[in-house]
Amino acid sequence: MASRRSVIRGAVLLVGVSPLASLAACGPSGSEPQPKATTASATTAPATAAQAGGSIVFALESDVINFDPLVSRAFVDRNAHYQIYDSLVRIDATGKIIPWLAESWETSSDGLKLTFKLRKDVKFHDDAADKPSKFDAESVKWNIDRYRTTAGSQRSGELAPIDSVDVVDQYTVRFNLKSPASHLLAALVDRAGMMVSRKAVEAVGQADFTNKAFRAGTGPFMLTEAVKDDHITLIRNADWWGRDKDGSKLPYLDKITVRPITSSEVRLTNLKTGDAQVMNNVAGKDVAGVKLESTLQYQEKGAYSYDSMIPNRKEGFIFNDARYIKAVAMAMDRKEILDKVRFGVGAIGYGPIAQNHFAFDPNFKPFEKPDPDGAKKLIQEVGKPLSFEFLVSSGDAVTLQLAQLIQAQLQKASIDAQIVQLEFAQILQQQTDKVFKGVALTGWSGRIDPDGNTYDFVVTGAPQNDPSYSNKEVDRLMNEQRQTSDEAKRKAALQAAQKIFVVDDPARIWYGFGVSQLLTNKKVTGLEPYPDRIVRFQYAKLAK
Amino acid sequence: MTQYVLRRLVLMVPVALLVTVISFALLRLSPGDPVLVFAGEERDPASLTALRHELGLDRPLPVQYAAWLNHALRGDFGRSIRTRRPVLPSIVERLPATLELGLAALTFSVTVALFVGTLSALKRNSAVDLLATGFTLAGVSLPGFYLGLGLILLFALVFRWFPPGGYVPFVEDPGGNLRRLVLPAITIATGSLAVNLRQVRSAMLDVLNQDYIRTARAKGLVEQVVIARHALKNALIPLVTLVGLQVGAVIEGAIITETIFFWPGVGRLAVDSINGRDYPVVQAIVLVSALSFMASTLAVDLLYAWLDPRISYSERRT
Repeated sequence: MASRRSVIRGAVLLVGVSPLASLAACGPSGSEPQPKATTASATTAPATAAQAGGSIVFALESDVINFDPLVSRAFVDRNAHYQIYDSLVRIDATGKIIPWLAESWETSSDGLKLTFKLRKDVKFHDDAADKPSKFDAESVKWNIDRYRTTAGSQRSGELAPIDSVDVVDQYTVRFNLKSPASHLLAALVDRAGMMVSRKAVEAVGQADFTNKAFRAGTGPFMLTEAVKDDHITLIRNADWWGRDKDGSKLPYLDKITVRPITSSEVRLTNLKTGDAQVMNNVAGKDVAGVKLESTLQYQEKGAYSYDSMIPNRKEGFIFNDARYIKAVAMAMDRKEILDKVRFGVGAIGYGPIAQNHFAFDPNFKPFEKPDPDGAKKLIQEVGKPLSFEFLVSSGDAVTLQLAQLIQAQLQKASIDAQIVQLEFAQILQQQTDKVFKGVALTGWSGRIDPDGNTYDFVVTGAPQNDPSYSNKEVDRLMNEQRQTSDEAKRKAALQAAQKIFVVDDPARIWYGFGVSQLLTNKKVTGLEPYPDRIVRFQYAKLAK
Repeated sequence: MTQYVLRRLVLMVPVALLVTVISFALLRLSPGDPVLVFAGEERDPASLTALRHELGLDRPLPVQYAAWLNHALRGDFGRSIRTRRPVLPSIVERLPATLELGLAALTFSVTVALFVGTLSALKRNSAVDLLATGFTLAGVSLPGFYLGLGLILLFALVFRWFPPGGYVPFVEDPGGNLRRLVLPAITIATGSLAVNLRQVRSAMLDVLNQDYIRTARAKGLVEQVVIARHALKNALIPLVTLVGLQVGAVIEGAIITETIFFWPGVGRLAVDSINGRDYPVVQAIVLVSALSFMASTLAVDLLYAWLDPRISYSERRT
């Protein structure tokens, strides 16, 4: 039996018109591809030839490392994946999960079966001379099983709740779960839900596929060329199923060249000279300047990423006493950090649940005013002055400035933070081995579902629980929100847990949220930032 | 002579072996785990353990080294941990870009050093000399990344004479290739130019005071011939040593500049691989770099003999 709620949700999204239309009204150019029902008539209509076509250069912060979603770990890879592959579901620009390759889905009442109805008009890029392979329920089963069972798969963790996958009919597929997992759907938005052509993988073999993933997806663009550290070429997929709000075929652009440029100054210069047209990561110090550039358009939106300081709460380490953690959280001036180091780009934060998460609580401001005196009192209560090693990754001037500002703020509460700069690789090692002495300055890139920003960081023994945090009530609440797909119940549990692991018995010190930025040449229209910070190029148009 | 060269070549083998042992040891001793860096912020212990096993990183170090050497001797340098690409092709396909940039920079540096250095020695303490000396000081002091960014801002953004970086293979677009070559080549050249220029200047000053120059002038040779044939050729020997070292260091020299100008060469691969603790790639780059260094030192030694007939490597039989 499917739960009534999820059926309705899927159905509303399938019909789609109202939520999508309202979305289109607020986005710069309309947005998500329309459901099939509205496209039948549109296929005969001529494409908007005046604006279709053209090629652009996308300046990316570093080179794409792995094209195979199975082995990919780096955030930057997803900028390519989202153009090449479609996943079962996606999010809209507000962060809401919407139909994509799956037209609808339903969860059984016991939460143990998740059934997807698939689109019937999807083909893989792998045609070349002979016929392209078709996307159907068998493709989903093959992909999900590949992610779950291949040795060295980086997706097996995300798909761990799945016990088996059944092909119900050609366009219906069912995931049988080991236990209810409300966070699974959000994982299917990203790499774990991306559909790869079996033919393409088998043609080059699993080991080489990640470097030769040419014509391997179903997405709006096809990867046709990849020159390491130089550029990758994405060519328009003329057979893509997506339509814009007028029913015209997407995507518009003929070609995207992605150039990895690590220096943010040089990326920006490329935008200014017109050598590149799109970039998505602008340094805070440059934001005020780019807003004044007459040829460029800057947009931003709150992201899922957060900034945090990780204390080591293990026995024998100074932050084993949680009062010290709270003292640090109280002494910090989050607004000053945002203004001085981030140049006002981003948002103040107190916990890991971000503005675009359904469970966000705008009234949750436990450390709104810096309180060095309160922090001092708390430390006096412990009886020993607080002095600790503050691990900061080397090589970036802004990170060091940030650490120095925090150091100065803590000084006001007589807290002595000794900055130690280490390579990121070394900090990571110390965090994982749980041997760092004091605090590590490490953030999180953020996930679509609030579970992805919380669970693994605060539940006892969870893989990312670097502070060695353990709180029975937090464990109970966090598991409770995984067992139900009822958003209101999840929200209540998540917010209750957040209050504990931020204020009452703190696991970390959170102090800000990131921002999703998009800087484009004004000739490029149709793009808007998404809270996951990834560009959706299928909507981009280039003025002649 | 042939025997000398052969002996030098044979001697390279133990040196190269030693280099691989040292680089292997240094890499493994430096903190940081390649699998952890690859995993980035998501660390699922089960998949990390599986990956470590798959890459053989859970075996004892001597076993790992032996396995690496065994494969390397047969030309198999393994796969990159980060990108899973075979290591040797990734380096080989980047060599042309790095060599082009390095040689362009070197040519520029040596040509300018010879002209300006000689001029500055001949007109000692003149305006030209002071300017050149001042320039050398600035050149040595300016860090490459700073100069590179400055050049991009000035010549790419303000004047728009050159593109702000990137690379096009020469065979595809010769003009585009050369236009993109200018700024990074100048950036790299500036550091070595300063050193080379000073070397030419002081060597020339030294030579110009020698008796044989006075003799040459006394026998009525034209000044240009005195400078070019008698002075410059003798002043070249120390420069050849310097340039030889610079040729060997082309890969290291390109590391920062390639990153700034997004020039897809070996230097940039080295940076990414070191940051990612990508052991197989770093080991191979160190080896290639060491071999090129040894080869260029050999070439320098052979050049000496040509420049100065008094130096000979032939076995004397009496």
